[in-house]
Amino acid sequence: MTVDLSYLLHQALFGGLAASGFGILFNFGWRDLPWCATSGALALAVRTLGQEAGWSVEAASFAAAAAVGCAGQLLHARLGLDTNDLAAAGCIPMVPGLFAAEGILGWYALTVPHPDSPAATAATALEFTLRFIFTIGAIGTALSITTHILPNRDQGGMTKSGRTERLGGLL
Amino acid sequence: MKTFDPEKRADSGLREGRELDRIAEAALCAARVLMETGARTQVVHEDCSRIAHGLGAEHVDLRSGYASLDITISRGMNSVTRMEEVGPHGVNYRLTHAIRELAQRISRGGMTPAEALSEMTRLKQDTRQHSTWMVASAVGIACAAFGRLLGMDWAAFIPVAGCAAVGQTVRQSLLRRGANVFVVAACVAFLASTLTALAARWAGSTTLNLAMIASVLLLVPGVPAFDAQHDILDGHPTLGTARAVVVGMLLIFIATGVLIARVVLGVRQ
Repeated sequence: MTVDLSYLLHQALFGGLAASGFGILFNFGWRDLPWCATSGALALAVRTLGQEAGWSVEAASFAAAAAVGCAGQLLHARLGLDTNDLAAAGCIPMVPGLFAAEGILGWYALTVPHPDSPAATAATALEFTLRFIFTIGAIGTALSITTHILPNRDQGGMTKSGRTERLGGLL
Repeated sequence: MKTFDPEKRADSGLREGRELDRIAEAALCAARVLMETGARTQVVHEDCSRIAHGLGAEHVDLRSGYASLDITISRGMNSVTRMEEVGPHGVNYRLTHAIRELAQRISRGGMTPAEALSEMTRLKQDTRQHSTWMVASAVGIACAAFGRLLGMDWAAFIPVAGCAAVGQTVRQSLLRRGANVFVVAACVAFLASTLTALAARWAGSTTLNLAMIASVLLLVPGVPAFDAQHDILDGHPTLGTARAVVVGMLLIFIATGVLIARVVLGVRQ
């Protein structure tokens, strides 16, 4: 596998920029914004490496979200904030908004009175829609898996009866 | 010999009921704020439970819907059920974290329901928000960065950043006026993508379609999409499905705004 370092840095830089911008929209404090940027940069770096290795966007996004989720859980004690939210902010730059928009626009194109090559339009629309669903599913599943495998102290602390569960974790 | 005094017993039952009602009110208030600020349902349930137990409840049951929350708490022979409406769902992690920290403080004991409620009110009022211009600028830059990740050329970078910032300002202003969130999404998508197409064309961009989509990515509900999956996996399929439906509807309205912009400007897909 050959990695184009400048492309990797480009993706990590803009991933970090996008994550910190959305961190401000989500009202993260100033103290947490560098961690949002780090989380976004890590996510995009892992996804780019996965894609360079020949993985699909969906598989690479799954690996990236899992990496960000694990890093967040491992750093929970040090950061002292809800790292699940941080991991979600880091994964925002991987949300396939382009696939969603192109998929829906493709379906719209299919419903005009006399569409050009309807079979090809339908196949493209279906491909974009499925890629959106699978990518967002891959990110959400990876984040959930890391949350359940490596729970931090903020999660699952209470049962309905109020008994505090002793959760095995890294803390 | 001990005599049974029904009046005295009714009085004590009433007092206990009032106390439980205040505990339910405090727990529901926290749950509502957490729901409205983008917390996952599991987190809402855990913190609501922490608060109710910390204030003296023995058993807590919470039912969470997209638009309302119901709680039943009990102590001894008494129980109280209360319902509260949930307002518009958004994302405000600073307030989420503040309420979660308060829930942990309450769970350690020593707080009364009135103190807990007043602390929550204080947090809602005092938790700082980034200024409007700061949010708009940050969102603009984030959308332009998104565009670069999608393969957009450099010529469209500043047009996307500027037009997405305008879109965010308009979105915030319309939502403050109580406009419908779906209609706002379509209008802002149309405005931002139209302005972007005009500005990017003027700047000599050859990736107009990507630029138009990059400028509306601020509207894509990423956090609710993740929350929907978390909720379904955590055993809250009803709320998770409701969130997923809202995400799908928002995407349709965003795409409609972009489509109208493409038709008006004659941009080919």
